[in-house]
Amino acid sequence: MQTWLLCVLVALVFWGITGVTQKLSTNAISSERSFLWFCWAMVALSAIVAGLARVPHKLGAVALLSAIAGGTLNGLGAWTSFRALESGGKASIVISLISLYPMLTVGMAVIFLKERLTIHQIGGTVMAVAAAILLSFESEPKAAN
Amino acid sequence: MSSRHESSIAPRWLLWSLVTIAVWGAWGFLSKVASAEVNVYLNQLLYTVGLVPLMVFVGWTVHKRRQHLPTGNSRRGASWAFLTGILGGLGNIAFFQALVKGGKASVVAPATALFPMVTVVLALVFLKERLGRIQMAGLVLAFAAIYLLSM
Repeated sequence: MQTWLLCVLVALVFWGITGVTQKLSTNAISSERSFLWFCWAMVALSAIVAGLARVPHKLGAVALLSAIAGGTLNGLGAWTSFRALESGGKASIVISLISLYPMLTVGMAVIFLKERLTIHQIGGTVMAVAAAILLSFESEPKAAN
Repeated sequence: MSSRHESSIAPRWLLWSLVTIAVWGAWGFLSKVASAEVNVYLNQLLYTVGLVPLMVFVGWTVHKRRQHLPTGNSRRGASWAFLTGILGGLGNIAFFQALVKGGKASVVAPATALFPMVTVVLALVFLKERLGRIQMAGLVLAFAAIYLLSM
């Protein structure tokens, strides 16, 4: 198995677990407090991995700003998705809609990074987005005993 | 009054959703740009630096609205949120590593966006939720998508 694909699967598992832990958290506290504790955990984890971070001799401003802006945009997206739900959007519609975000990444990567996809990867991308939309539908409620 | 107001412009939830698509879509792209020069751990460190302005803003909001926000079971909720952050950060490191190891942004972003499949399975096992037909179809599509994206 290719290394990048293995990393993708690891990310899938960790982020997949956060879907449950996030739900358990917001069942107990507000989304704002939950977000703050999430950020503190990021700070703690970053402090742990700081020793492994190597600063390249020639670190370009574009790469540096891209990495920092990535954190801001990702956190901002979490906040705006909460606002969408709080503004009266149905969860099944809002989450289905925001599941389309990889299409923008694909578009930007093809246009600006000149990435080219094989026919299988194009099919896989379309199926991945469709799958994410279908998976965002609410589970059926727990069966009554 | 609000319905008359919203009939002339897009509803707020739609605008927030579109902003979410824009910022998360750009995040996937910028992560690939950064991965050309920045190693995964430095990327995680800089990602956290990028979170600081949001922490300040949300912290200020919480402080201002502290009397109106439900306190709930603070310790339990905070523990789950903290665990979410740790797991989210480890997921980030794996995501950055996938990009550093040559994964195309146009493949890695859609593939990692399939993480709800793991959530669905975990909710099925641990929260005793039942899987609907639509979600079942989603799971099948997700496995097929990963197979195709890996080719």
